[in-house]
Amino acid sequence: MSESATRLEPNVSHPPLHAPPPGGWLERYAQVVAPGTLRALEALARRLRGHRIVMVNTTKTGGGVAEILHRLVVILNELGVPTSWEVMEGDERFFNVTKKIHNALHGHTETLTAEDREVYAERTRLEAERLELDGDLILIHDPQPAALISLRRKPGQRWVWRCHIDLSSRDPDHWEFLRPSVSQYDASIFSAIEFVPPLPIPTYLVPPSIDPFSNKNREMDADAVTEVLDRLDLPRRGPWVTQISRFDRIKDPIGVIEAFRMVRARRRARLLLAGGGASDDPEGAEVLAEVRDRAAKVKDVTVLELPPGSDLEINALQRASTVVMQKSLREGFALTVSEALWKRRAVVASAVGGIPLQVIHERTGLLSRSIEGAAFQTVRLLDNPDLRHDLGVEGRAHVRENFLHTREVRDYLAVFTSLL
Amino acid sequence: MTIAPFEFSTVAHLEYPAGRTANDLVSLREGIARVPPESLFFHIARVAVRHPRAHDLPPNDFANWTAAALQEPEVAERLAFAGSQPLTELEALRSSLLRILDESGSRKHAEPAAQAATFHFITARSVKAPLDLVAAEPEQVVHLWPQIDTAAAFYHLVEARVLGPGQDDLAAWLKSRGATKLAEVAESVTMGGMPLLRLHREIGARWRRSLITARLVRRTEESDAARRQEARAVVARFAGRLRKQRGGRE
Repeated sequence: MSESATRLEPNVSHPPLHAPPPGGWLERYAQVVAPGTLRALEALARRLRGHRIVMVNTTKTGGGVAEILHRLVVILNELGVPTSWEVMEGDERFFNVTKKIHNALHGHTETLTAEDREVYAERTRLEAERLELDGDLILIHDPQPAALISLRRKPGQRWVWRCHIDLSSRDPDHWEFLRPSVSQYDASIFSAIEFVPPLPIPTYLVPPSIDPFSNKNREMDADAVTEVLDRLDLPRRGPWVTQISRFDRIKDPIGVIEAFRMVRARRRARLLLAGGGASDDPEGAEVLAEVRDRAAKVKDVTVLELPPGSDLEINALQRASTVVMQKSLREGFALTVSEALWKRRAVVASAVGGIPLQVIHERTGLLSRSIEGAAFQTVRLLDNPDLRHDLGVEGRAHVRENFLHTREVRDYLAVFTSLL
Repeated sequence: MTIAPFEFSTVAHLEYPAGRTANDLVSLREGIARVPPESLFFHIARVAVRHPRAHDLPPNDFANWTAAALQEPEVAERLAFAGSQPLTELEALRSSLLRILDESGSRKHAEPAAQAATFHFITARSVKAPLDLVAAEPEQVVHLWPQIDTAAAFYHLVEARVLGPGQDDLAAWLKSRGATKLAEVAESVTMGGMPLLRLHREIGARWRRSLITARLVRRTEESDAARRQEARAVVARFAGRLRKQRGGRE
């Protein structure tokens, strides 16, 4: 039987994400990054003085892109590069269409009807009139707002399309729908080279990043972790194997349960599947129901639905984990992996999307390519504390140098400078 | 001829596809033969930038991929060795890599990698930004060195030497100012193949040690009053450090 299938109520008592610390966010980064890093960022930012940047996406909450933007916008402003953030709004019909496009670009079979195209075009027209897009460089995130360029580009502006999705298995029809818009941009940015489709515009590679001081990643002591486990009615005694990810088929939560079933047949452990939905993902509830149904048939599995704002809970759950899994079938980048590595957790993850950039097999974590592989590597880690320790130390160092916001800001500054 | 002061800069790297992929040793050879030098530099030398804190420096991308995706450990270790000297001129490096692949190819054909494990050639362009740190004399380089970031250290020690521009090559500038010993220290440590963060620290430490003799000589030429004043300053700094440590403990 499954253990509890809980829905956590929103927790509004956490410090707000934006609250700047005394001295600003950049000063806090000096505590974790290599000496000279902030001086280097300031030097690069000086080259952009006098230019304004506008970021555009479709959600303020939920999902990795919104999380990154919350902090990057603040950091860029602290560096003296005026940056604003516009959110393209949409109704359920629009987000159903963009979810279809999203899934199809990930390789799922979807049909884009004439009506879908009209819904997308109509919403783009409405939002093109509303959004403030007066910067020198407009950075559009993902496919949803991609067509704004044809309606709002002004002479002298630079437009860059930032794609967070793995397009290597894209559905050709959906890509053909999007490509004419993308081809109008001055440049595109992808998270990994494997994701890049043929395009007639310059393409740059910029992996995303995490914020070490967010509620999701900041240090927590053991008491605070235990307090969260108690509040969520989760047993303190593990070992816990967790996957914390949106309830989305491409994250393969059913595959995680199946892998855990194999692990549980050999070792004592508990599985926690925790996640929420993004406001632009209407499919989440359906997937969650499937996961609960399957989880009920396997021993020691807990399914936890997390509302927006559960960052401290996610932090605690990752820290309480003996093994963190990310058994995705497709991925954009899977920042949950960097989050776990930052906390020195042992990670078992699929070799898809941006995961191999973060998990260097046997050095910073373990990669798997099948359900059996995930089960095998999980058992290996459960049995071997020294291996978990070594991978954890290397994993944190790897994230420090390559997947903190300071590195992504540096890359963006380089792209902006090359275009302005 | 007046020699210009040395201006430290940092760089950010714009990475982009080089337009080639490899699935086996033959296509790897083809790619290495055709990609621009910047791409070779990215896959060989820039591994140090991606893993600056590693305990040991991982092998270059070509060696890594040949071992992991093609399961060719012998070719991989030969490629790793060929790419282990960061200051090697890029066309000489290209020739070494091609020779290894030619020799391996003549003996046997490795199995192609699975499609998911395709090797994608990447290239990179540096965007440079001055750090507002300028050294008129070699000794000032030693003082400014700890203030620069690891990307800047890599740029001035390796990238400027191999890819240019020559005026940003720190060892060359030191030599032109007669500081041959400082230049030799920089070059020998850089060729030592250690992770970048350690390399950055190690060069700074060796430079400081190498200046001790010169400082002692200079000190003997100074007046007693100047020496006493400097000694007082040293004691004051030391006391300040002790106070700070005690404060931290409390």
